[in-house]
Amino acid sequence: MTMERGGASGFVGSHPTGIGRRRFLAATGAVGMGALAGCPGLNGGGDGTDGLPGELDIADFRGSGRIVEGRPAPGGTSITELPDLEGELTFYLSFGEGGLYLDLIDLFADYYPNFEYGHTQQSATGLANRIVNEVDAGASQADVFIAVDAGSLSAVAKAGAARTLPDDVLEPVPARLRTDQWVGIAGRARAVPYNAEQLDASDVPASVQEFPDVAAFQDDFGWAPTYSAFQSFVTAMRLLRGREETKSWLEGMLDAGVGTFGNEFLVSNAAANGEIAAGFANHYYALRVRNQRPNAPVELAFTSGDAGALINVSGAAIVEGTDDPELAENFVRHLLSAEAQEFFATRTFAYPTVPDVEPVGDLPTIDELNPPDVDLSALADVTPTLELLRETDVLG
Amino acid sequence: MATPEDFDRLTRGERVRESLPSVLTLVALGLALLLLAPVAWVLLEALQVEQARALEILTSPDTLQVVLNSLVLTAGVTAGSILLGVPLAILTAQTTLPGRRVWTVIVALPLVIPSYIGAFAFVSAFGPRGVLQGLLAPVGIAELPAIYGLAGTVLVLTLFSYPYVFLTTRASLLSVDATVLEAARTLNHDRLAAFRRVILPQIKPGVAAGALLVALYTLSDFGTPRIMQYRVFTVMIFEETQAFNVGFAALLSLVLLGLTVVILAWESRINASREGAHVAGGGERPGRIALGRWRWPALGSVAGVAVLALVVPLGILVMWLFRPSPGSGGLAFELGYAVNSLWVAGVAALFAVLLGLPIAYLSARSRSRLGSLPERSTYVGYAMPGVVLGLAMIVLGIRFVPALYGTVTLLLFAYVVRFIPQAVGIMESSILQVDPAHVEAARTMGDSSLVSFLRVTLPQIFPGVAAGGALVFLTTMKELPATLLLRPIDFETLVTYIWIVQDGAAYGKAAVPALVLVGVSAMSMVVILSRERYNGTE
Repeated sequence: MTMERGGASGFVGSHPTGIGRRRFLAATGAVGMGALAGCPGLNGGGDGTDGLPGELDIADFRGSGRIVEGRPAPGGTSITELPDLEGELTFYLSFGEGGLYLDLIDLFADYYPNFEYGHTQQSATGLANRIVNEVDAGASQADVFIAVDAGSLSAVAKAGAARTLPDDVLEPVPARLRTDQWVGIAGRARAVPYNAEQLDASDVPASVQEFPDVAAFQDDFGWAPTYSAFQSFVTAMRLLRGREETKSWLEGMLDAGVGTFGNEFLVSNAAANGEIAAGFANHYYALRVRNQRPNAPVELAFTSGDAGALINVSGAAIVEGTDDPELAENFVRHLLSAEAQEFFATRTFAYPTVPDVEPVGDLPTIDELNPPDVDLSALADVTPTLELLRETDVLG
Repeated sequence: MATPEDFDRLTRGERVRESLPSVLTLVALGLALLLLAPVAWVLLEALQVEQARALEILTSPDTLQVVLNSLVLTAGVTAGSILLGVPLAILTAQTTLPGRRVWTVIVALPLVIPSYIGAFAFVSAFGPRGVLQGLLAPVGIAELPAIYGLAGTVLVLTLFSYPYVFLTTRASLLSVDATVLEAARTLNHDRLAAFRRVILPQIKPGVAAGALLVALYTLSDFGTPRIMQYRVFTVMIFEETQAFNVGFAALLSLVLLGLTVVILAWESRINASREGAHVAGGGERPGRIALGRWRWPALGSVAGVAVLALVVPLGILVMWLFRPSPGSGGLAFELGYAVNSLWVAGVAALFAVLLGLPIAYLSARSRSRLGSLPERSTYVGYAMPGVVLGLAMIVLGIRFVPALYGTVTLLLFAYVVRFIPQAVGIMESSILQVDPAHVEAARTMGDSSLVSFLRVTLPQIFPGVAAGGALVFLTTMKELPATLLLRPIDFETLVTYIWIVQDGAAYGKAAVPALVLVGVSAMSMVVILSRERYNGTE
């Protein structure tokens, strides 16, 4: 079985041959990943010491534990089919997933001996503000902006601080999860984590508008209104149903005695503990709770066709003024590779944005979910949402 | 009625003021203007907001509520810090409390714990489903009342900022002249009455100086109210930056700076009594108040404060170390982050002292309003929320000093802007303790003002300079918001690392760097307290 990039075909440190590419695809398509874990790996022509770095296989990009057991090989384009990353890039990474994304970039840096990078982490909006200021003054420091929220990417794009991405980079991702200036690399679905000992899936209505009237949610529901993903959800509701209806919905939730949490991990954790029956959170937090505590009785429900079913993305944009646009574009291709998408799916429990890669566990696929028809770029318009949240005293 | 001594002081002050070189005034004013540069950005940015919109924001019920919240919080934390700091200072400096030297160090130490770490710890410990609830679960307590909101925020901020009041009050207590106290006692006052009539007025400026630092810190703090879910100005400003409304954020910051000026003016009035005075240092120390049977309750309350402000946060950190965290992955800790923290804090402290010295000297020795203006203005930077200061420095850096943009220099400048008043305050009180007659003597021997400063004043105030630097060092070590915004590419410090990993819920990874941070900062507290030996105490 040949996983080597080069090795078998006598090709080292440069673009893989067609043979290597086909063999990789054949191999990964034919057998389960458990079998692959022990093979020599994608030989990056590294330093040849003790395996890593330089030699990586799909297992290195994967998470561990029950959640990845028996997973099929990821579809899509392998990094072995992509041009090598050679040169230096500077990343602005937003917090949240930022720490984990750094692990992925490190894997690439291990794999490509001639690839180096610098980075800084901050809040997505902080970085977006900074990029706009820098590009405006012709002093951009970053080549690639990776943010956990489409709003910040759109703000940069609107200010003319992001380059247009080539079609072949955008092409693997469904149109709703990208624009010309940024591309979604990992999806984050709005979800309702609920305590399985207190509720059944059928107790959670399919429409988020009905939530304030659900008897089981009275004084037993949680949200994190300061969290940006929650605010994007309210923005989506505002766009779909109008300001007034959103306002009365927020007031209805307050009347139902909704509890406030600092972030959505805490909401999911509280649902797992039974402190609340259910709450609003991005889908992956409950999976993290369960990965940590396999017996925690927390399950996910999804609403349908409304703001409660919004799918937002983490995404990447190339900053205007980069020294090396080709390398930056190639890097974004790498973020959409089978390996990176497998990484996002199994390590951050996100939805892969490339449809050939499956989400983990019992998550419904993006196609099975019924997200609302909301332009993700419009989520950057937070100000009216903030006003609404203040007016209703949702923020305290 | 003026006594001959008063007259003597007055004339001495007069002579010193005359000999203040105008160069010093110019230097101090120039430095103050430089340090106020970020305020200029706030002004310009706020002015760009359309007038009608600005008015709408400033007069909205929500803004007014937030102003009220901020004022209530500031008042609560300041009052709480005085109620904790002053008795603790008296107990450790003025009574027969057993083990008072050790307690002095212990009750000063909570200052080294970043208040946002304190807030996390308190939520972990006393939250509805926290550690305490876990301990109480066997007796059937399923949930504790929420510690969020005003009360919790006041509690946490008080516990981690009262040491400002403790330290300044203690310093004034140690310089109280015993002969005055004895005089009062011969007038048939009992100890308590003598204390109230004689000591209290003398330590009032010290208490006020510490209270000022607490009040302005409370106004500018974001992390604690955010974690404790209490909506104040800094939280609202943060919301605006999150919504890409930098102009609104600047506008709100302006209101915050307005509040700062009001607080500063108020403190100036309390402090007016010491204007131009030469405070007697190293005079005879008053006798200690014997606690008698009150010894044990006193000991109990001191220990209680130590448990809440030190044992709880440190205990939670150690617990994080051994308990699995929900998050994982991301940045691995490197020793280099600690080294970065150390050297930037060290350099910031050095510059704060160097730039602060002319400002402190002018303020101590001049009795004109102009002379104390630079000193007063340094507090404006201290009260600026870190996120606003960071935004200001980014824009100013890109526009005016592009060569420094993205370098550590900009970060260091921000630290100096933020923390210089702490050094100026301590150095000023040290300069006030130098007898102007000594300086005069050197001048009459033909020394220039600079030489006489170096030969006479500097050696005497050196402990104060070191203490000022140490205070800037330890607050720089724990500064978070400006550090996050201004650190160069690939530059992490202890606090930025702690913030990143806690954001990913990897609490276990935050524990070691947090303990290192606290340990290193604790050493600088030793420098601050050792200053006292030079003041002829203990």
